[in-house]
Amino acid sequence: MESIIELDGLSVHFGRLQALKSLTGSYTARSLGLLGPNGAGKTTLIHTLLGFHRPSAGTARVFGNDILHQDKAARALIGYMPERDSFIAGMSAVRFVRMMAELSGIPAAHALERAHEALFFVGLGESRYRNLEEYSQGMKQRAKLAQALVHGPRLLFLDEPTNGLDPPARERMIRLIKAIRDTGEVHVVLSSHLLRDVEECCEEVLILNRGEIACHCNLEEERRANRKFLELEARGDVDGYVEAIRALGVECVPYRKRRLKMVLPPEVEIRELYRLAAERRIEIRHLDYKKDSLQDIFLKAMEEKPAPAAQ
Amino acid sequence: MSEPTAETIVFDNVSKFYGEVLGVNRVHLVLAPGITGLVGPNGSGKTTLMNLVTGLLKPSEGSIRVLDLPPDRPELLFSEIGYCTQYDAFPRGMSGYQFIYSFLRVHGYVHGEAERLTWKALERVNMTEAAHRRLDGYSKGMRQRVRVAQAISHEPRILVLDEPLNGLDPMARAEVSRVFEQLAGQGCHVIISSHILHEVDMFSDQVVFLSGGYVVAEGDVTGVRTDIEENKPIQVLVRCDKPGLVATRLFAAGAAVEVGLSEDLGGLLTRTRDPEKFYLLLNDVVLGDDVTIESVSVADANVRAVYQYLIGSEGEPR
Amino acid sequence: MAVYDRTYRRYQGPVTSQTWRFLVVSHYVLKDVFKSKLLVFFYALCFVYPLVLGVSIYLRNNLDRLGQILPQEALEQFQVDAGTFAGFLYSQGFLAFFLTVVIGPRLISRDLANNGLPLYLSRPISRAQYVLGKLSVIFILLSGITWVPGLMLFALQSALDKGDWMTRHLRVAAGMTLGSWVWILLLAVIALALSAWVKWRPVAAFLMFMIFASGSFFALILNLLFFGGARERAWGYLVDPGRLIVIVWSGLLGTEPPDGPPVALAWIALAAMTAFLLWVLNRKLRAYEVVT
Repeated sequence: MESIIELDGLSVHFGRLQALKSLTGSYTARSLGLLGPNGAGKTTLIHTLLGFHRPSAGTARVFGNDILHQDKAARALIGYMPERDSFIAGMSAVRFVRMMAELSGIPAAHALERAHEALFFVGLGESRYRNLEEYSQGMKQRAKLAQALVHGPRLLFLDEPTNGLDPPARERMIRLIKAIRDTGEVHVVLSSHLLRDVEECCEEVLILNRGEIACHCNLEEERRANRKFLELEARGDVDGYVEAIRALGVECVPYRKRRLKMVLPPEVEIRELYRLAAERRIEIRHLDYKKDSLQDIFLKAMEEKPAPAAQ
Repeated sequence: MSEPTAETIVFDNVSKFYGEVLGVNRVHLVLAPGITGLVGPNGSGKTTLMNLVTGLLKPSEGSIRVLDLPPDRPELLFSEIGYCTQYDAFPRGMSGYQFIYSFLRVHGYVHGEAERLTWKALERVNMTEAAHRRLDGYSKGMRQRVRVAQAISHEPRILVLDEPLNGLDPMARAEVSRVFEQLAGQGCHVIISSHILHEVDMFSDQVVFLSGGYVVAEGDVTGVRTDIEENKPIQVLVRCDKPGLVATRLFAAGAAVEVGLSEDLGGLLTRTRDPEKFYLLLNDVVLGDDVTIESVSVADANVRAVYQYLIGSEGEPR
Repeated sequence: MAVYDRTYRRYQGPVTSQTWRFLVVSHYVLKDVFKSKLLVFFYALCFVYPLVLGVSIYLRNNLDRLGQILPQEALEQFQVDAGTFAGFLYSQGFLAFFLTVVIGPRLISRDLANNGLPLYLSRPISRAQYVLGKLSVIFILLSGITWVPGLMLFALQSALDKGDWMTRHLRVAAGMTLGSWVWILLLAVIALALSAWVKWRPVAAFLMFMIFASGSFFALILNLLFFGGARERAWGYLVDPGRLIVIVWSGLLGTEPPDGPPVALAWIALAAMTAFLLWVLNRKLRAYEVVT
């Protein structure tokens, strides 16, 4: 499979501070989550791939284009949605997105068409004719996404796309990101502190720490491996139930309010839990595999010494 | 809702208007100690409510009583309240340490006390290393932690925080949430406004839902759910390998009023008026018909579902 | 019935030329600039003097035919020569300065204030092209009131004159054009550097005035202190861009230079100022500020 991003010993310095330390790896996933504590180098990595910073050592390629020597070719294939509030004042959304399309090389007439398409896709209706200064936070985020998409890039960098959005707007944005990912036409790199968002949208995850790669893993595989961790909420004689479960050899611990966390050994199946529940007239109100697999992966990556090369 | 006592914050039919524009209308709330989550779309009145509690605004109508503090002694109120706004604003040229220290001095603490309290607050948010660096040089997350530290530094009984976890990486989110839980455990009021609903679910003892300037619901989330409508059917999502079979059994036993199969035929969404009957029947079905269950979840016993129901997806104007 | 699904599509069509793409930036700035009716009015006013000059040239060359109606003696005094075009440069140059003060400050400051730079620079466009785009706006607008009408007046005079006026005054045409370009470049670079450095328009405008005003002031002081008021060696003027440009113009047009350093030195001083301002621009114009 053609690699989307290739890093080879990529290092970036700011004065004496080394922001990225010899990053190496090759990434092909349809959707990649970029995680890490503040200062780990996530934004620096994105900015370096965009050509905002020169690498002090090493190389990087985007779709085969060297970011130093073929930077314009690389940027023609990339769309970027910055984390901070970004817009051009004095323009309506249509004019803004259209200008961005033209700057990416699309001829003027086509640019107008694509601007409207992009704005429709992100859900900005009549408000697209109003000036960007008047927009609410959610609308500004959507306009930012529209300008990132309008020129039909093959790689999309989304930096904290749900920043500042209220719950309905957040859900809308996540849905949009999933829709973009599912078109199959564009690869998404999502950088966010909200692990839930990353878990929902991304297949693979790249975790940075202190400028180095701490972990690169595939979430699907991790989820399959986590099958034995369960969360359960029961009504009825819960204490008796817990005893019976423990008698099966299952580790079981009460957690938060009314929940039980358990680790099923390989020989115990969920049916056993139901058998015990039926015997004791217990209602199993909630049963699910642990959803925090990404959180565990993240915490584990933070504790380990960062590995020199990924995968 | 609890009864007003010396431990509570009471909003007594409070309304606030900015000229003609509505801030909040006829709010009646009694907040007990612990973590209160404040949830609602942008513009629903959360910031207004927070400004009212902290005394920065006076209500247009109604009155607010905070704990046992007399309303005519605002300086007492300010010494008991810590407020961390959503705005990432700070004085130029200060270091993190100076920011908190000078704030404490303004509160009237002498140098020695102020210093001690400053370091205590910085330790709690894990910012002791970078304390003497300038705020301009901080990352967003570091500034956020310093602002939270400033809000808790004078050990207030009431802490009001507007999106306090904004910009924090996952570890910092967990750390700072723990600080709030500790404070709540000591009997403080911690009022947190947030858009990240599953987090509000996890750490709140009670939740207040705001929409369009009105309080549409408040209380313990599961309690809210039962209060909404006693006889509204609950929705349960069951993921299993034989959804059709399970559906048939449920209908036959009269344990469900509506069942829908999910698109990938890997589960079913059920509405039932009798949860007890439903769950016990499910036990039998699993055992008797050899069904493999993947997951069971109630579709609306969390903040997200209640939010969806009460406030819905009314988003920005199109 | 066919239901059409509107979704994300790649772009597979033709792509505009990379070299001229900076003009996209200029195009949109110009659209924005001309939204202001006040500015359009002011721009129109800048053509008054060239128009008056044009009429004067016409009348001067047709004295014999219109002699009875016009004040003959006064008009005969009016010679169209290097001095005329020097005067043209002074007046239009002054208006150009005002125009730059009006449109210059917002060119880059708004983009920086609203974090628009990453949006530009994440596209296949370089910082240089971005600056070139903004610079072109100033160049286009200012050209319209300086060397373009200037050359048209020159052409008018040449056409009406029945002698060899044109061949004798070619230097004037070239000098005026080059002089305009130098002035436009200087104004543009000052405006852009200020725009990148200062967020508020009134402050940037004020600073532009101050660059010239304080230049004169310090020149005066330096002359008094170090150069003892000697006219030819009044090198204090090296810090006064207003005086320097007039010296450069006089050098190009062949007119009498005012007090101050020699022409070559004036050129060097202006080049140094321009280089410095470009350096400031380079430092200030980043897609992302790094604070360590």
